[in-house]
Amino acid sequence: MALLSSPFAKKTNSVTQMMLWVVGATLPGLFVLMYFFGVGVLVNLVIACTTALVAEALILKLRNRPVMPILWDGSAFVTAWLLALALPPLLPWWMTVLGTAFAIVFAKHVYGGLGNNIFNPAMVGYVLLLISFPLEMTTWLPPQSLAENPVGAIEAVSIIFTGAASNETTIDMLKQGVDGYTMATPLDHIKTELAQGYRIPEAETAPIIKGLSGAGWQWVNLAFLAGGLVLMAKKVIGWQIPIAVLLGMGLIALPLFFANSDYYLFPMFHGFAGATMLGAFFIATDPVTASTTAKGRWIFGIGIGAITVLIRTFGGYPDAIAFAVLLMNMAVPMIDYYTKPRTYGHADKKRKASEGVK
Amino acid sequence: MERSSFVSEIPIYEIPGGIHPEEHKTRSNQTNIRRLPLANELVINLKGQAGNRSIPIVEVGEAVLKGQVIAECDGIFSAYQHAPTSGTIIAIEKRTIAHPSGLDDLCIVLKPDGDDQWCELTSSSNIEEMDREAVLAQIFEKGVVGLGGASFPSHIKLKQHEGVHTLIINAAECEPYITCDDKLLQEHAKEVLLGAEIISKLYQDINIVIGIEDNKPQAIDAIQQARKELELSNIKLGVVPTKYPSGGEKQLIQLLTGKEVPHGKLPADLGLIMHNVGTCYAIHLALTEGKPLVERLVTLTGDNCKEPGNYWIPFGTPVDHLIKATQSDTPKRLIMGGPMMGYELPHAHVGIVKATNCIIMSADGELGMDQTALPCIRCGACMDACPASLLPQQLYWHAQADEFDKAEEYDLFDCIECGACAYVCPSHIPLVQHYRYAKSTIRNNRVEKLKAEKARERYEARQERLERVKREKAERHRKAAEARKKAAEEAGKKDAKKAAVQAALARVQAKKKAQQSDESAADKNQSDDNHSEGNN
Repeated sequence: MALLSSPFAKKTNSVTQMMLWVVGATLPGLFVLMYFFGVGVLVNLVIACTTALVAEALILKLRNRPVMPILWDGSAFVTAWLLALALPPLLPWWMTVLGTAFAIVFAKHVYGGLGNNIFNPAMVGYVLLLISFPLEMTTWLPPQSLAENPVGAIEAVSIIFTGAASNETTIDMLKQGVDGYTMATPLDHIKTELAQGYRIPEAETAPIIKGLSGAGWQWVNLAFLAGGLVLMAKKVIGWQIPIAVLLGMGLIALPLFFANSDYYLFPMFHGFAGATMLGAFFIATDPVTASTTAKGRWIFGIGIGAITVLIRTFGGYPDAIAFAVLLMNMAVPMIDYYTKPRTYGHADKKRKASEGVK
Repeated sequence: MERSSFVSEIPIYEIPGGIHPEEHKTRSNQTNIRRLPLANELVINLKGQAGNRSIPIVEVGEAVLKGQVIAECDGIFSAYQHAPTSGTIIAIEKRTIAHPSGLDDLCIVLKPDGDDQWCELTSSSNIEEMDREAVLAQIFEKGVVGLGGASFPSHIKLKQHEGVHTLIINAAECEPYITCDDKLLQEHAKEVLLGAEIISKLYQDINIVIGIEDNKPQAIDAIQQARKELELSNIKLGVVPTKYPSGGEKQLIQLLTGKEVPHGKLPADLGLIMHNVGTCYAIHLALTEGKPLVERLVTLTGDNCKEPGNYWIPFGTPVDHLIKATQSDTPKRLIMGGPMMGYELPHAHVGIVKATNCIIMSADGELGMDQTALPCIRCGACMDACPASLLPQQLYWHAQADEFDKAEEYDLFDCIECGACAYVCPSHIPLVQHYRYAKSTIRNNRVEKLKAEKARERYEARQERLERVKREKAERHRKAAEARKKAAEEAGKKDAKKAAVQAALARVQAKKKAQQSDESAADKNQSDDNHSEGNN
């Protein structure tokens, strides 16, 4: 028995525990997603998690690392879980496999494994899919309550694995809304309408824009918010980054809205639309790729929020959490370097220790 | 644990970071202070204080009385050591010492005779009449060192007196398990306050503040009671919220004054001086009764300790004796000091020293540091726990990559090794171990660099000397040559006539020779021309 050095006391916490809490806290959001978009969400989860565990085990073996202890830390599982929650419910199975495997192998292990990756692996996987398969990745079903042809469990599985439903319904039919129009996400809808010369108030008359941020989606966001608050209360995540993300959104969205509410969305709409809450509470808070200094967390979060709204408003994509997170990931080393806290007994953080203190 | 409702008499400031580990204090502070039977031998570590090793002045076989000096100070930065009981010196040899290294060092081994007989004690007749130097001398000669954990010789700390305006008595005792200061105050608050009074007499117009955590309600009551009885209304109570490491010198200063000790400076530079309650008690005994420091209050605790509590234990008492005397089970891990900043002993045959405030006889699984370390996930929990506002995750990153200059840039040397970062780490990384490694490597490198620099200087000096000798030699030679030339010239002038005659003779001879060889020379010239043509 080797001698240990202090401290000997240890808080009973672990990485595995943290990961389990993250997964647990997504459950409200998962159930709401399933309620509105069917079993496909769950199928995606199963495919992604299996792929992640297999990919992680294989690459650990390749890298001559102990497989079981690292597999058990749960980080690969969480990466897959979060990626799957961001995927459209009827995505072909092999795309899910591709995205997840890419996330684990390239975004994580090529950089040196857990703790060494610069980019959020789930978002790297997501963006890979989004850029490679833009059509499939933006094909969301209408929320169940609006759907002309609600998707059953068997159809969902069938479509994901074979590309066609068993009872001769096609994915195009499933995408039909009650009014006969092809449905998109609320953010997508607004973007398309604006491009066609409509104004926001006109665009908002569509059935999909109902309530705060559109049918279904506002409830999804509320559910993720609820789970995120639990994580905050449990101190699994800090409160700074999620608040900063929402603040960053407000900082851009509010002036735009007041400048011209015909073209720019109400800030609350941004807050409860798309992947906002999932991104703010579960994606941006990934400790490995986020800033770790007190000030840096604020800058990191505000940056994500601001970039998201900017891309949603002026960019080519309806949603932009993934891009915003990856862009801010890149800036983290610099943010951390310039936001070092002032050490006890040091007069000024910019002054070097060797120069002493007045 | 119970919290005191006493409202602090001075404003309390905040410190960043800190943790709230399980306190485990009620286990050892429910019984009165006790004594254990004497051990069969006492192993007194000569390096039992910060600074230089004491020099033994007794010989093997010599009989000593309790309180007799057995080792002297080596220079000012050292301490006197006294026999903890009467008996015979049976050895002066290397034994395992109470030190994180677990190494052997010189110890005096004393076999008690069981009489525990004091030598003649020279107590001061009247402390009021003693001048500063006399009080300091008494503290020095009685071997008093800081009993808070660092064993810094008290006479050095008390030396600086210019500009000191506040004496802080450290009773925070923030580390889990340890309750010796708590119990000392509960049972001997008066003596502690009198000790603080003695210290305060060394300064002019000094305020006294007792810094204590609110998890010691009984000790706080005892202080108030003693203060009332002694009519020492000048002593103020600063009650701070329980949070580790509020008892660290720098942290307690920040809590009580809102000020930070500037990097590279001492508390005295802020006009502050801090002493532990145990030190105050020892100073009181040294001056009023003339008793040297021969024992201290030690908390014996841990899941395997069958009689947990606080005991007066003579220095040098081996830990295995303490285990036996309390009928305790063999500990899984044996910790000297607290669970946050203590160190593990390699075995139990180690004598306690002046710094030993606690012995934890832990059971299997009681202490949680056995887990395998996983990769750092940069969660920043360590940063939120760091009382020095460092970035422990960055320090770790650079320390494990041996990027020591970067680690220093992140203020590695401002780390107080409190262990809060490692306590909260979800990846179970022994962070402090990495910092200690980096610090010691940097220190070694500095020493090596200094040595190399000295060697280089020596080499250059030697080269220069050789060069100089060579130059001087050359100069000497040149001068000698010049002198010779000059001498030759001088000599030449004197012999000028002789030389003129000789030169004339030589010219005549040369002429004759030239006439004789005229023809043959002409032939030779012709053949030379042919030869040179052939060459072209």
